Amino acid sequence: MTDAVAPAIPIRAVPVSPGRTPWKQEAIGFAIALLVLALLPLVIGDTYSRHVLIMVFIYAVVASNWDLSLGYGGVFNFGHLALFGIGVYAYSLLTKLVGLDPWLALFAGGVIATVAAVLVTIPILRLKGIYIILVTFGFAQLVMQIVISQSAITGGTQGLVRVPGLYWFDHNMIRDGKFAYFYIALGLLVASTIFLRVFVRSRLGAGVVALRDNEEYAISRGMSLVRQRMITLAASAFFTGMAGAFYAAYQRNASVDVFGMSLATIILSMVLLGGASTIYGAIIASFVLTVFGEAMADFGAWRPMITALLIIVVMLVYPSGLVGMIRAGWGAIAVRMKRTA
Amino acid sequence: MSSAFADIAFGGLFQGSLYAMMAVGLALVWTTIGVFNFSHGVLMMLGAYVAWQLIEIGLPAWAAFPLAIVVLGGVGWLLQASVVRPLIGRPNIVLVVVITTLAAGSLIENGALTFWGPRSKQLPSLISGNATIGGVGVSLHQIAIIVITPIILGALWLFLNRTRLGLAMRAVAQNEDASHLVGLNVTALYGLAFGIAASLAGLAGIFIGGYRFMSPVMGSDPLLKALIVVVFGGISSVSGPIFAAYLIGFFEAACNYYFGLYWTPTLLFAVLILILMVRPEGIFASRSRGLA
Repeated sequence: MTDAVAPAIPIRAVPVSPGRTPWKQEAIGFAIALLVLALLPLVIGDTYSRHVLIMVFIYAVVASNWDLSLGYGGVFNFGHLALFGIGVYAYSLLTKLVGLDPWLALFAGGVIATVAAVLVTIPILRLKGIYIILVTFGFAQLVMQIVISQSAITGGTQGLVRVPGLYWFDHNMIRDGKFAYFYIALGLLVASTIFLRVFVRSRLGAGVVALRDNEEYAISRGMSLVRQRMITLAASAFFTGMAGAFYAAYQRNASVDVFGMSLATIILSMVLLGGASTIYGAIIASFVLTVFGEAMADFGAWRPMITALLIIVVMLVYPSGLVGMIRAGWGAIAVRMKRTA
Repeated sequence: MSSAFADIAFGGLFQGSLYAMMAVGLALVWTTIGVFNFSHGVLMMLGAYVAWQLIEIGLPAWAAFPLAIVVLGGVGWLLQASVVRPLIGRPNIVLVVVITTLAAGSLIENGALTFWGPRSKQLPSLISGNATIGGVGVSLHQIAIIVITPIILGALWLFLNRTRLGLAMRAVAQNEDASHLVGLNVTALYGLAFGIAASLAGLAGIFIGGYRFMSPVMGSDPLLKALIVVVFGGISSVSGPIFAAYLIGFFEAACNYYFGLYWTPTLLFAVLILILMVRPEGIFASRSRGLA
């Protein structure tokens, strides 16, 4: 009995980054997904399906960037759609009134949204929880009201039409069955996703999560709440603004609808339905919700009702969203496979 | 000059009453349950439509209005039981309830659109007729709102401060665990808070439906204003938002008069953000969370 009993549970090596997928695995998965998406236009020929996919990509960029501040940062930022709207209007006004090159305006949309995000961070630095929701919500409304009240420049509630689109040398983007726009949107999503994933895996991202999980402790360890919040919001703003600018270039118009509650609700449900603080969850959910929404186009007024019901059910049953659902399903399969093996 | 003053005073009192009616419900739910009900505006719309439907099937207004308010109380309770209560105890409850109440709001809104259609409807006024006070022409319906609101809010104050049930609600707001320990039915009190809030929203809907055309999306703007009001007043009390509601009513009326309709919302939001930078907990709020 004095002999040491061999431990029943084998001691595993401590993982380098606990709870994370090794980056090589993630990169392979990412490349496969990218390849599949990039080949889609060869299979899908009709412009309508391509249009739906372009919208999926735009929503995915906005939702996944929102996830950075909402999920990872734990900042209840409800003004994210305003950053998208700022991108829309920055692009439209710069190309239409100033006559800036569309590609430069696309980039400028991102920069201006980032500046706006930094500005909105200032009033929320001292705030917590629900107050952040209210101020950021107020910020979104403020931007919308400014756009409406300056109708001489922004077109007010009528919006702006005939916004210049993007161009590619002599290639006619309007008559190519949305071929070029598809790849630009995909490129935007890829760039944004790589940026977000690298950000959240970095030391900086770990700091953002640390502040979310235990603010007092993180601050006592010398982390700056002010700096981190500003970085988080600014980082989540750039691609959102660019997505807005791209949206304006693609739709060739700008309207105040982008600031409205309905779009914000849809995108917010993408973030939460996918599972907050995953990035990929938001992208998967934007795909699911957009395609699902389009598939139910015949249902008319029932469509938003079914979507709303779906959101409620998922939130009640799977608090960690679709990614939680996938993980649970994967776990169940893994257990079964081990048993049979 | 006196006309301008009367204009602003009347507008402020009238708008303030509506905002107070909405904001009190939001604050009540926040203080007791600690969540924000984003379907509050939709409940307001539903109140107006239910009242309209009851009148349509032949009830007189004096019976239809209170009945609609009772129905709304039930809807509020149901909403609480279905999309709020199951989530209690979740770490990110504030955020999740925002999305579930938003979704529930969208469900009700589109349901109303399907059921009642987009065509505008109107409720009968509380009192018909017009009057001229201080050189300003006003409708008696609006006067009635100005008079009834303080009475209702006073009754709510008495309920929260003088009845056992009200005291129990305040106890839950102050300390939920201790309330459990002394044997209060916390779940039922949650339902009650939500029900009262929904009834007040329904009443606000009936008020608005009496002088403006109703539509399924009529709740979004009052919800927004109610949100601003609770930020001004501080969500941690019920009396704070009431003062703030009237203050904002007057501010809006004055802005409308001096700067025009277009600039009012912009100024309002700018002031809101400024106030929160200086006093993050609202202008009338003490730092502790509690009812009344």
